Amino acid sequence: MAGREAAEGEAMSISEIALTEGQTTYGRGAEFRRGLAASTPVLLGIIPYALVLGAQAAQKGLSMAEVPLMTGLNFAGGSEFAAIQLWSSPPHVLLIAAITLLVNSRHFLMGAALAPFIKRLPKRTVFPALFLMCDESWAVGLADAQCRAASGLRPAFSLAFYLGAGLPFYLAWVAFTTCGAALGPVLGDVQTYGFAMAFPAVFLVLLRGMWKGFGAARPWLVSLVVAALVYLTVPGAWYVAAGALSGLVAAWFLAGEK
Amino acid sequence: MIDPMTVLAILAMAGVTYLTRIGGYLVLRNRTLSPRATAVMEAAPGCVLISVIAPDFVSKNPADLAALAITVLAATRLSMLPTVVIGVGSAGALRWLIG
Repeated sequence: MAGREAAEGEAMSISEIALTEGQTTYGRGAEFRRGLAASTPVLLGIIPYALVLGAQAAQKGLSMAEVPLMTGLNFAGGSEFAAIQLWSSPPHVLLIAAITLLVNSRHFLMGAALAPFIKRLPKRTVFPALFLMCDESWAVGLADAQCRAASGLRPAFSLAFYLGAGLPFYLAWVAFTTCGAALGPVLGDVQTYGFAMAFPAVFLVLLRGMWKGFGAARPWLVSLVVAALVYLTVPGAWYVAAGALSGLVAAWFLAGEK
Repeated sequence: MIDPMTVLAILAMAGVTYLTRIGGYLVLRNRTLSPRATAVMEAAPGCVLISVIAPDFVSKNPADLAALAITVLAATRLSMLPTVVIGVGSAGALRWLIG
């Protein structure tokens, strides 16, 4: 989801909560509440993202029904911001699906990291639980499982804790993006007031949250330069695919240096 | 209120996203990714986000370029809401001043 930066900002306090409270085994209700408490600070951080996304979606012509349909079925903020930015009427379905795949490709790594902890759970539990896996619920759930494993608690992965951390995120994301969609049209044509800068602002904050130093950011620079050049020379939205793919190729070659 | 093409695009997004959520668990649970593949997957979200906003970096409007510079600076040290407020505020003010 969108609040990756918020999740990283709270990582310290989350692991502290998990460490102090993970020592004893609670009942399901208490585990759910423990998950809720661990995720609440980050939960408050996603509300502005949700409002901005809903308002921008309304500007692009999505209705009050379509916004919760998107945020409720997709539930991955980064890809929703990218999709809305590229939204046209009618939308370019393949382009939007491809961009969604690229933005959410990090879920593959997140699911793989979680896999050792959820391997023993039945698939009918795992598949619905993974639907709720966003940056925040994943970070909180994995930190808690690692702490419980380290302190010898079995099972290390507490499903009730994970649901307590993930479900409120889901409800808040859908509810506040819908509120944003309701507020968007009230603001009128946002272009005239400089509201177009809201998008780069959101994306730049998301990028700052992913920042791991200049070395790791070199593929981003390649993406930026290629995307800008393609935007200036080729009509249409090809600049996104060209920029993203050249960044990935750069990441591949730069990783070979070490 | 509900446009068929919009619903199709949303369903495509939802399907792709859910596949990424279960894919790592299904495919990667019993193997380790090569360092190169890991590096590419870690770089991917940032590459997409910066590509989407690349046109803003080559805007022909000097007011917008100046506002973007202010927004970049704000994003390096502030959180989401103040950055958006500063970005939108500076773009609005500079457009009014320089046009």
